[in-house]
Amino acid sequence: MDIRKIRQDFPILQEGGGKKPVVYLDTACQSLRPRSVVEAVSQYYLQETACAGRSMHRLAAEVSRSVDQSRAALAKFFNAAKKEEIIFTRNTTEGINLVANSLGLKAGDVVLISDKEHNSNLIPWQIQAKKQGVVVKIIPSRPDNTFDLAAYETLLGPSVRLVSLGYTSNLDGVSIPASEIIKKAHQNGSLVLLDAAQTAPHRSINVKALDVDFLALSGHKMLGPSGMGLLYGKYALLERLDPFLVGGETVASSTYTTCEFLPPPEKFEAGLQDYAGIAGLGAAVKYLQGIGFDAIQKQETLLNECITNEIKDIPGLRLIGPADPKLRGGIVSFYIENIDSHRIALMLDQMAGVMVRSGQHCVHSWFESHQIRGAVRASLYFYNTLEEAELLIGSLKKIRKVLG
Amino acid sequence: MFCIVAFIVLSILGIFSASNRELARESLDCVLRRVTLRPCNTGFDEKMKAKILGVVITRSEGAAIFLNRNFELLSWTFFVLLLASSIWTIRGVVLFYTTGSCNGANSSAFCVFDPSGSNNEVSTSSSQVCSMPVPAKFLTARLKNIDLDLFPTLKNGSSQKIVMIACYHCEYSRKAYPMIRDLVKQFKVDLAFLHYPVKESTDYFSRVSYCVNKLEPDKFWTFNDQMFSGDAMELDDPAYLNGLLTSVGLDAGQVNACVADPQTETVVKEQMQEIVKTGFFGTPTVFIQNQVLVGPKPYRVYAIALEGLLYWLK
Repeated sequence: MDIRKIRQDFPILQEGGGKKPVVYLDTACQSLRPRSVVEAVSQYYLQETACAGRSMHRLAAEVSRSVDQSRAALAKFFNAAKKEEIIFTRNTTEGINLVANSLGLKAGDVVLISDKEHNSNLIPWQIQAKKQGVVVKIIPSRPDNTFDLAAYETLLGPSVRLVSLGYTSNLDGVSIPASEIIKKAHQNGSLVLLDAAQTAPHRSINVKALDVDFLALSGHKMLGPSGMGLLYGKYALLERLDPFLVGGETVASSTYTTCEFLPPPEKFEAGLQDYAGIAGLGAAVKYLQGIGFDAIQKQETLLNECITNEIKDIPGLRLIGPADPKLRGGIVSFYIENIDSHRIALMLDQMAGVMVRSGQHCVHSWFESHQIRGAVRASLYFYNTLEEAELLIGSLKKIRKVLG
Repeated sequence: MFCIVAFIVLSILGIFSASNRELARESLDCVLRRVTLRPCNTGFDEKMKAKILGVVITRSEGAAIFLNRNFELLSWTFFVLLLASSIWTIRGVVLFYTTGSCNGANSSAFCVFDPSGSNNEVSTSSSQVCSMPVPAKFLTARLKNIDLDLFPTLKNGSSQKIVMIACYHCEYSRKAYPMIRDLVKQFKVDLAFLHYPVKESTDYFSRVSYCVNKLEPDKFWTFNDQMFSGDAMELDDPAYLNGLLTSVGLDAGQVNACVADPQTETVVKEQMQEIVKTGFFGTPTVFIQNQVLVGPKPYRVYAIALEGLLYWLK
């Protein structure tokens, strides 16, 4: 993988023009976009502006074909059985909400989640608990924040209707043993929903091999456009699910009192879709395939090891998650005792143009329970270089020295 | 304390930049919290501190360490300095309005509102150089023990009297004189005119002035007004001066005869001695109430000295 060449695909990383260089270490929030994705999006607006599946003219046919191609490409990318198992959403949050509201959960049904879920995979279940009487149970992690299979098995009782877990944590980059979790859930008669927002950009996901029932992800973390995501669901399950958002494009016909819903995925895709976003997401997975996940993981591990080894001995610095960087993918989360995480992030940007995330990263529940005010998160991707990692390290050491 | 300083600074910067305007809004929120004795929990001070440290650290780690350790103290220091400079600025504005100089009456130190110092320029009595700064020791000029009856006086029946020392050839006197005349007209006060030839090599024009007032006191002020209008260089032309005397109804021959009279020389010398006794530095010097105004001030300064700040209501 020629990083120098790859970086040329990302206009924002280009130096010159008197601008301060950008050291972008916030991919876990959203990734940068290569030129091909931006071009795919702009092509829709400049040359293919039309409604798919409604109008009969040439432009509409082109958009329909483009949407269909993207759906097929994404199905292939995740090894879905058929392209109709891919439902376009705005993001992971919408995908999880769709399942939460369509699964027909009843009072007493148990939903298992982990103790470090993103709010996207916590709040929808809290609402179900309030509205439907669903019981939400929390699987505690091990002390090093890795998944505790034993605790999971203990909680996996007969009432567990759904196991909804973040595949890879946005807090610390730790991935769960998904295959094993899914196998045990199915043995228990439970369904499994995976929040793959932080997984899909970094490693290959084979939904058929995983045998996962639902999988939600966002495009904006995997080079795709903002406001574009998808929900994978086994077709048989999708057929049984009630639609969440309804209206235009979801029905074959309607009377004043009744309607006939289209089969999946259309019955879940209400209203005019983000055709530009769909085309952009198709271009994004094509770009990722070109890079290859082996190369991506290799680069992320290299950078994570470099950063971890250099910062772990900074006085007062505490890494979140396991000590072994190989278990944390592209994420290095840490806090320095008695120093506000936002201050560190602002100083990193100001002094070196290093952009990291600070705060509680939408995992307030975990921070509250651990009584930690916040953390700094550097999230790495294949376009980051060792020089950038060293800049982060050097700047952090300086900050530590100055802030005492 | 930092947010107060930041609010003032950012408000000024915000005039030119939208991003600073946004920060100014944040700092205002912080200020409002502080003045209502609530904690500033907007994170504004933290954010700004981090940004400042981020810049300083790239230049000097030592300075960044010092700044971090003493941030609150430095904030207070800047606040006090800001407060002091604000008070100083307001004082300067008030002084400029009331005296024509940011630094107080007749001060020729730099004033941003009058960068050329035109309000304090004088023709000096000690040399022929104009525009010299007025030394403080000359500001002690007083009218005590001066016999003003020796000089032409315009009487309006007022208890207030303006005394003006001026020179027909001094460009600053020529600038101030019309304003003094307007002032006298508007507020009906008495005016004594003391001619002192700072720009002239002889006392010839002082003699002319004396003689006109001696011969035709009713026509003196018309004559005086004419002397201060037009081009000062023309006054040196005898034909022009004779024409001017004639135009205001005076007998030029009679005036010239008076000028040549040795008795006139004696009186004028006496006048000069009286003027010198005032301790004045140059022309124009105007005495209003107990104030001495040196140099051509704006009209409002003379009016304020005479009638106070609310002169425009009268």
